[in-house]
Amino acid sequence: MKKIILTILLVFVFAFNLSAQTYNNFTLEDLDNNEITLDDLIKKGPVLISFWALWCGPCKEEMKKMQPIYEKYKDQGFTYLAINQDNQKSVSKVKSFINANKYTFPVVLDTENDVFEAYNGIGMPYSILIDMNKNIAAKHLGYVTGDDKIIEQEIKEVLMAGSNYKGDK
Amino acid sequence: MIRKVFIISLFVCCANISFGQINLDVDASVSNLLRYGNGYEYSGNVRNAKEYFENLTDARLKVNGIVFGLRYNVSNPIEYGQNFVGIDKRYIQYEHDIGVSLRAGDFYEIIYRGLSLNVFEDRPLAYDTGIDGVRVTYNHNFGSKKNPFKFEAQVLGGDIKYIDYLDPDREERYKVRGVFTEISPIKPLTVGFNFIYSIGELPEQDLITTVTSNVPELSATYTTQDFEFYAGYAFKSSIITPNEIYPDPNTALGDGVYSSLSYSFNNIGLTLDYKNYRFDVTLPDNRSNTRPSRMLPYQNPPTAIREHTSVLISRNPHVVDFNDEVGGQIDLVYAPNDKLSFNLNGSIASRHYQYTDTDSGATVSYERVDRGDSFLPDLDDAFSPFWEFYLEGENYATEDLYYRLAFARQSSVLYNQLNPNSSEKLLTSTVPAEFKYSFYKNLTFKINAEMQWVHNSIRVSEDKNFTNQYFALSFIRAPDITLTVGSEFTSDEEEPTGKSSWFIGEATYQINQSNTVGVGFGTERGGLKCANGICRFVNPFSGFRLSVATQF
Repeated sequence: MKKIILTILLVFVFAFNLSAQTYNNFTLEDLDNNEITLDDLIKKGPVLISFWALWCGPCKEEMKKMQPIYEKYKDQGFTYLAINQDNQKSVSKVKSFINANKYTFPVVLDTENDVFEAYNGIGMPYSILIDMNKNIAAKHLGYVTGDDKIIEQEIKEVLMAGSNYKGDK
Repeated sequence: MIRKVFIISLFVCCANISFGQINLDVDASVSNLLRYGNGYEYSGNVRNAKEYFENLTDARLKVNGIVFGLRYNVSNPIEYGQNFVGIDKRYIQYEHDIGVSLRAGDFYEIIYRGLSLNVFEDRPLAYDTGIDGVRVTYNHNFGSKKNPFKFEAQVLGGDIKYIDYLDPDREERYKVRGVFTEISPIKPLTVGFNFIYSIGELPEQDLITTVTSNVPELSATYTTQDFEFYAGYAFKSSIITPNEIYPDPNTALGDGVYSSLSYSFNNIGLTLDYKNYRFDVTLPDNRSNTRPSRMLPYQNPPTAIREHTSVLISRNPHVVDFNDEVGGQIDLVYAPNDKLSFNLNGSIASRHYQYTDTDSGATVSYERVDRGDSFLPDLDDAFSPFWEFYLEGENYATEDLYYRLAFARQSSVLYNQLNPNSSEKLLTSTVPAEFKYSFYKNLTFKINAEMQWVHNSIRVSEDKNFTNQYFALSFIRAPDITLTVGSEFTSDEEEPTGKSSWFIGEATYQINQSNTVGVGFGTERGGLKCANGICRFVNPFSGFRLSVATQF
């Protein structure tokens, strides 16, 4: 019991003090078999990569809220990149879901969870905002209603820091 | 052998780094998940004290393109499965720009749609079929960038230890070897071939049964902007070496087909799935989770049924029998505008054949009744059919108001061959609803309410109908606080624990962007839980739970 309490305390101490994440480039195929490379997107502007799956309700809410934000800032170089984590077994529904909802942001498939693993994913939705210098500007594990406003503010700040921000559309 | 390969690879990588300390590009990341629970678990109406402590630390170090990863696992006592303290996963991965990727150590893999190989971990289900071995992948695009000729090849080999949670002392061991190729000669078309070979050792009655299996698989995908078609076929041949339990030489043959079609037009997305799994079609009294001729644990094809997030609908999941099941699913998404969307889903499944008892005496001797259309499901009770209809509508009415309403009707039969009148017939109708309202900047109220009507034919009492209700109220302050109070009620007089109500309170606090703490206190109803076609019964729990998720 003592050991358990000690470990819990230790985890809490780490939890309050540590925060770091590294950039990992990747190339994944989109729903039309085109290859998308993160490095190429970063050259244009900041990227919010977001891991999602069809069974994840909060993920779908995040996508719904991110669509207008993507449209608002895409001309300033911003990209919202939705990385699907459904495995090969359920991937057949992804294309029809995206097309029916008329989402315009790029969607790529990480069916073997390699990129999710590279970014230390432990749950979904999981979003990481990367600035043009390949620094992790913000992270969000999970999504609750209202997070979209915070994410939009973070995007604005990153665009401003990179001198890409030209005001809201 | 694998351990040696791993140590040698580690040494070679370290040596390379030490001798070439010119441009060291080092990245490190760690994630940690702590789970603790203390309370009581119910097995029927027997209450047992339950405490678990699990801490999983995943560390990843990347040095000049070489990735070293490990997971330190302290599960003592574990919630489900066997206690473990130590490093349970470790790997080295190297990727080169020419398209070569090498991984030594632990890995998971899915090939095509999993008909021949899909190894994965699901800790909440105490399920892990990960491979400890080596995987080499070559991926290259030839020709022009606009219309490339894509080629991918993979060779893998390693060991799998498979433990069924129902019998944690019984461990099946498999040595697996595989080769996989996939080519895309033109952009919309991809064809592939895969071959898996394995030698399995299955313990039974102090004896080991050796099973040598060959599983070839073919697949094809055709994709355009609005259309996708996939078809896959896998064949399984398992040679069971004779021993005292299985004295006769036996080669068990089986196969599986999975196909999907996806098409979207205007605001409609349509997906059709078809499954025909015959990996071990056998007589009713031969079926078993430990049969050496059954589908191999490293195979895991698509379930082709909807996975629900509703609490009450997911209490009665369909347990897919990959050895003997035929069926399909239709899924339609209609989003008339960016606020409103509908989802219609229907699925159907059954066994391939019915069986008759040909012995008029006291013993039972089954015989299969063949039929020509066994590639289609049959809704006759003798085929243990399952069907489901699901309709959902959701509306982001305003920027602050969201609601969702759904209706599900499910029917399943578990046919009793000896006494058909005692077959378990379950018919449920469920209405889940969600309502969410945001106010004052970042504050949100959420209500989840579900009502379910159940008819269960094997209830002892005369009234075989009962109802379940679920209600949860959440208060959310974005992005850091979520408070939920949940309750569940039933009028089922034969509920195993004898309870009729359950209450739980949960709180989640996001300390910062990397760390989240969750606590819960109360009673949970338990029940059958499924993911990817793997199901297990979760015992009801009453007590305190804590989780801390950290990424740094």
